[in-house]
Amino acid sequence: MFSFLRAKGPALSKAERYAQATQLQLTWWRFRRHRLAMISGIVVALFYVIAIGADFLATTDPHATDSRTSYITPQPIHFFEDDGSFRPHVSGLKGVRDPKTFKLIYTVDPNRHVPVDFLATGYEYSFLGITTTRHLFALRDPQRGDGIFILGTDQLGRDVWSRLMVATRVSLTIGLVGVTISLFLGVLLGGISALYGGWVDTVIQRTIEVIRSMPTIPLWLGLAAALPNDWSVTAVYFSITIIISLLAWTDLARVVRGKFLSLREEEFVMAAELAGASTGRIIFRHMLPSFMSHIIAAVSLALPAMIISETSLSFLGLGLRPPAISWGILLQDAQSIQSLALAPWLLAAAVPVILVILAFNFLGDGLRDAADPYG
Amino acid sequence: MTTRRTFLGYASAMAAATPAASAWAQAVQATGSVTQSGLVGKLEGPIPGGGPTPAKFKEAPQLAELVKAGKLPPVEQRVPAEPMVIKPVESTGKYGGTWRRAFIGPSDGENGNRIMASDKLLFWDFTGSKIVPCVAKGYELSADGKTTTLFLRKGMKWGDGHPFNADDFVFWYEEMYLNKDIVPAPIADMSAGGKPGKLVKIDETTVQFQFANPYFLFPSMLAGDTLIGGGQATRQSAGNSYAAYAPAHYLKQFLPKFSSEAEVNAKAKAAGYESWIRMFHVKKDWELNPDLPTLGPWRTVTPINTPTWSMERNPFYYAVDTDGNQLPYIDKVVMTLAENIEVVNLKAMAGELDLQERHIDLQKLPVILENQDRGKYDVHLDLAFNGADTTLHVNMDFRGDPVVGKLLGTADFRRALSMGIDRDQMNETFWLGLATPGSSAPAESMPENPGPEWRKKWSTLDVAAANKLLDGLGLTQKDSDGYRLRPDNGKRLVIELLAVKAFMDWPKHAEMIAQHWRKIGIYGDVKEAERGLAFNRLLKSDHHIFVWTNGGTELLYLYSSWALPTDIASGVYGIEHAKWYASNGAQGTKPTDPKMLEALELFRSAASKQEPERNKIAQDIWKIMVDQQFTIGTCGQSPALMGVRMASRRLGNIPGRTCIAQHCRTPGSSRPETWFYKA
Amino acid sequence: MINFITRRLLLGVLTVWMISVLSFAIIQLPPGDFVDAYVANLAASGSSVSADEAAALRKLYGLGQPIYIQYGKWITRIITGDLGESMEWRRPVTEVIGDRIWMTLLLSFAALILTWGLALPIGIYSAVRQYSFGDYLFTLIGFIGIAVPNFLLALIILYTAFKVFGLSVGGLFSAEYALAPWSWDKVKDLAWHLPLPAIILALSGTAQLIRIMRANLLDELRRPYVVTARAKGLSEWRTILKYPVRAALNPFASNMAYLFPLLISGSVIISIVLGLPTVGPLLVKALIAQDMFLAGSIVLLLGVLTVIGTFISDLVLMWVDPRLRHQMD
Repeated sequence: MFSFLRAKGPALSKAERYAQATQLQLTWWRFRRHRLAMISGIVVALFYVIAIGADFLATTDPHATDSRTSYITPQPIHFFEDDGSFRPHVSGLKGVRDPKTFKLIYTVDPNRHVPVDFLATGYEYSFLGITTTRHLFALRDPQRGDGIFILGTDQLGRDVWSRLMVATRVSLTIGLVGVTISLFLGVLLGGISALYGGWVDTVIQRTIEVIRSMPTIPLWLGLAAALPNDWSVTAVYFSITIIISLLAWTDLARVVRGKFLSLREEEFVMAAELAGASTGRIIFRHMLPSFMSHIIAAVSLALPAMIISETSLSFLGLGLRPPAISWGILLQDAQSIQSLALAPWLLAAAVPVILVILAFNFLGDGLRDAADPYG
Repeated sequence: MTTRRTFLGYASAMAAATPAASAWAQAVQATGSVTQSGLVGKLEGPIPGGGPTPAKFKEAPQLAELVKAGKLPPVEQRVPAEPMVIKPVESTGKYGGTWRRAFIGPSDGENGNRIMASDKLLFWDFTGSKIVPCVAKGYELSADGKTTTLFLRKGMKWGDGHPFNADDFVFWYEEMYLNKDIVPAPIADMSAGGKPGKLVKIDETTVQFQFANPYFLFPSMLAGDTLIGGGQATRQSAGNSYAAYAPAHYLKQFLPKFSSEAEVNAKAKAAGYESWIRMFHVKKDWELNPDLPTLGPWRTVTPINTPTWSMERNPFYYAVDTDGNQLPYIDKVVMTLAENIEVVNLKAMAGELDLQERHIDLQKLPVILENQDRGKYDVHLDLAFNGADTTLHVNMDFRGDPVVGKLLGTADFRRALSMGIDRDQMNETFWLGLATPGSSAPAESMPENPGPEWRKKWSTLDVAAANKLLDGLGLTQKDSDGYRLRPDNGKRLVIELLAVKAFMDWPKHAEMIAQHWRKIGIYGDVKEAERGLAFNRLLKSDHHIFVWTNGGTELLYLYSSWALPTDIASGVYGIEHAKWYASNGAQGTKPTDPKMLEALELFRSAASKQEPERNKIAQDIWKIMVDQQFTIGTCGQSPALMGVRMASRRLGNIPGRTCIAQHCRTPGSSRPETWFYKA
Repeated sequence: MINFITRRLLLGVLTVWMISVLSFAIIQLPPGDFVDAYVANLAASGSSVSADEAAALRKLYGLGQPIYIQYGKWITRIITGDLGESMEWRRPVTEVIGDRIWMTLLLSFAALILTWGLALPIGIYSAVRQYSFGDYLFTLIGFIGIAVPNFLLALIILYTAFKVFGLSVGGLFSAEYALAPWSWDKVKDLAWHLPLPAIILALSGTAQLIRIMRANLLDELRRPYVVTARAKGLSEWRTILKYPVRAALNPFASNMAYLFPLLISGSVIISIVLGLPTVGPLLVKALIAQDMFLAGSIVLLLGVLTVIGTFISDLVLMWVDPRLRHQMD
């Protein structure tokens, strides 16, 4: 096996470094070479930054409704005044409903410029127990109907950008919490199944088969319909997460079990066994690292699947429900004919969904390749 | 004095208008942005009894061929000697065509039932305010109000050609209504002053409803969308067995009395039903059983539980136009199953549906208008008469939490909630500005409206006054977010708004109301629920406030379910109170609120009163309702519920505006049998 | 070999039984029962049902009895081939499901074929030409398939079809064929309507399979036997196709049986959006209306189909990977 590596190595010194490097170092070296994965990693990190700073990045109260701002098309922030001076502002808008077409027509009031301040005060929110009014951007002395609507507004006149920020937090954490639970269940049960074999294996495998043989939608429907109606938004949020992850662990368990079984036959495991290594050592020192790549690949696939699950559940009206805000709920708002025809910017919520899923996949891909010790 | 209305000649029919009716008919003038749109037409419609009986009858070409082939008796023998003569809106039409429509599943039976509304015994004219003949050519209410006599049409036939007469009423009363296996409990419609009434045959074409106490309301009940007056299509479908008549000659074979229980059970088993009762419920249901003889203009060909619910003309239909052409003009009705409302609306906009008002979404109006020429349809906006399409129905008997229960039962608390709602914002956002904001009381044009000031009382935005009322109730402590705290444990006071996405997107409405309530320090918690689960909660009165329409309450006596706790099938205002009312105090608990008691007593007293007095009582009830804010109205008198009508430009005799109301069986009162394809 | 097959069959029956218990339990989970939902529906359309009538209805449907007796009744009838009567549709379940199950199968099967047909060659190509432009392109397209929720795709396509072409996509048949008996023209009509939903449905599954295939093949390609084969001068494609692809197919095959319930689930959502006459919308409505027999039958039916799918995939697996055959005997 080493001859194989050495044959590929261009210089002896480098090969020596390779041979002496730890698994982690090897992974990192290889990962750095995978540019797309690196970029994706940065994108994912950015998304989690947004998730943490959602309220700070929001410009308007994401729940505040106003009929005067219903269905406003995305409005730019102007950075320069007409005289060329740098003074960021948005223009005042005036909306009138056309009595013939019933569409809301907004006209820009050229004389009214509402200044945009950096690190200014806006609506009040709590973050990590601190109550503050500080936002990245905010309007100075806004009148009713004024706002920074860079992604437009929805039917109830709520700012899409601000809602998107808060939704990002909710949807990303659902994915993260969910995948953690699935990973735990998957590795645990998959490992037990492979190691102990016999009736334990049979019971676990049957359970997996039963769960996977059921179309998930009815399972979700049944479980979500069983959630007590008077639960708080938070309770529903965690229940949905658990429901999704309870059904998602089976994939991971299968991968883990399958790899355990096939590795058991491999020479290096046999060698370790003959050398008198303990079962625990064989598993964690020899077997687990060798199929880490597969777990990472499975997790990278499971995470976006979780996010899609949440949006799908919301689509069927069984996921989170308003006033909670998530990507799924924003997309639910965008799914009517009138939204598609009159307010296509509501589809903006699809962009982060697509972006984050792509990023997670490329990241997982890069990690997978990198973690492969023979690569 | 005998209040006799026989409608035999068209002249007398016109004279039969009730005093209040003309007020309604004339005063329905749209205001505001609705008028500018040019989409609200003139309230008009076909007139039953709109001419003398023609000397000669004509028929559809297909039927003429069947007659020629000897498969059908000639039209003179099919149409009754005294047919219903309908004067169409524009002109007499021509035969032919298929009416394409969409429905959303087997629970959408009303979609078809409503176009069969001419199987009702009595009906309303196009204004919705005047009782007109229908299956019965006339009625007579005795001076003491204790008996109502119905006069049937001589020579009228069921859809299979068998005579329709008084025996079909006796059959319904004795074999269905009094059969505990079929109708387990008597209905309130059939009793007066707590005593059950009787239905008896006088002669072949005369039947009489007899009561022990005065029941002046009864003719209106027969004309209304009630259990007794709803007609065969709607009241003998979906598991119901009401509607006062049934095809005896056909249904006898499915009842044990006319053979034996063993025999009908064997028959049921052979056909795949568990028992004869199950089979009977299917056999008497026109939506499911194409063989069932009916009276309406069309009859089912492929049943509602298939992907296409289709109907064809009834060759024995009892109505003709003023030229003697047997109705309907349209050959077939084909309703396509659409899996969701978006698909219904898209199909309509693509011009794939010919006339659709059900499931058309007001929110889509700008898109619908945009595609008018491409889909070749006209858009009509029909305005409703009920107070509020979105009404906050307050549970007056909430026992889950004594603090919340007490507040919901306090008038000032409800008034504050009402004054905390910005109705103009709601109107603009959800009704495109087409609604009239105000209380839950019916439109000012309605005979039961207590006066214009009651449309406004406690029902305009006044944050200061609302806050003052709430402070006055001792709810002065607030948390850091500005929400008021409960007096008992210092936690935030939470008022739940239970909402269902149904005819309107009510959860969204509730979300906006909750935002408005922030200003009065009330935390509104929107609970969106699936319809079945929500109504299940209502049955247990396990909710704070339910968000739904109050449609139908414009005629309070005919449909009080969304105004007062009178309906034991709904616990929206407290199921125990409803039981108490329905059982005359024998069951349930008596409401403690004196004003609620007063309203219920007034309501109970009205059935035995003549119409002018009844209207006066209804006004008094509404005054109490609005003053007490038992139901909190927001915006109404709009086209939101079945009032956005998309009609193909190929169709003729389509009224400019129709009455949309529960009792008008929208679009029933504009008589779909008179519509026709111009080309 | 026969031993193995019988064992799998027995386990399959056990699985089916567990699925039946679970389906029935899930149907029982939501609060209330069919009569509640029924009453609610009537109330919404303006009719009312009194408590007495509701009680009579419950008696009629045997809803008052203990759950295990209701289950016993249900399963006994199913074993004798009687799926019971749908309470909401008031028709025998077999009739209600009728054509819809075939439409569901047809749609899912079309999507399945499409998924395999795309995933297999693309997966192999991506592994062999790792990090090539083609690898990135296919991966990107595949990922867009995963990333765009299929209901969103369905909705956008539905609206675009209307806006641009002036047609409403809803349904698998044109109006004139919906009711017509089967004919050559009807088949053609169906063939015209089928690809769009099948593609939407296939998009999400394809990417996943491409990834699995690519990952597995990459693992295999680095194994010593491949190096040996190459060293011995076997042609490149022969080297790849003869052994590593077959070995890599192992997890691929075990995954494809579960692709089926995934596709079925996906078809539920897009069928609702596109208004397709599959069991999907039927199932969702049945669950909401708590139409127990109908919902239970559909879940059970789909579960059984999946077990059969798994069984077939096991056989395929044995055929492609002799190591497993050996191990299982």
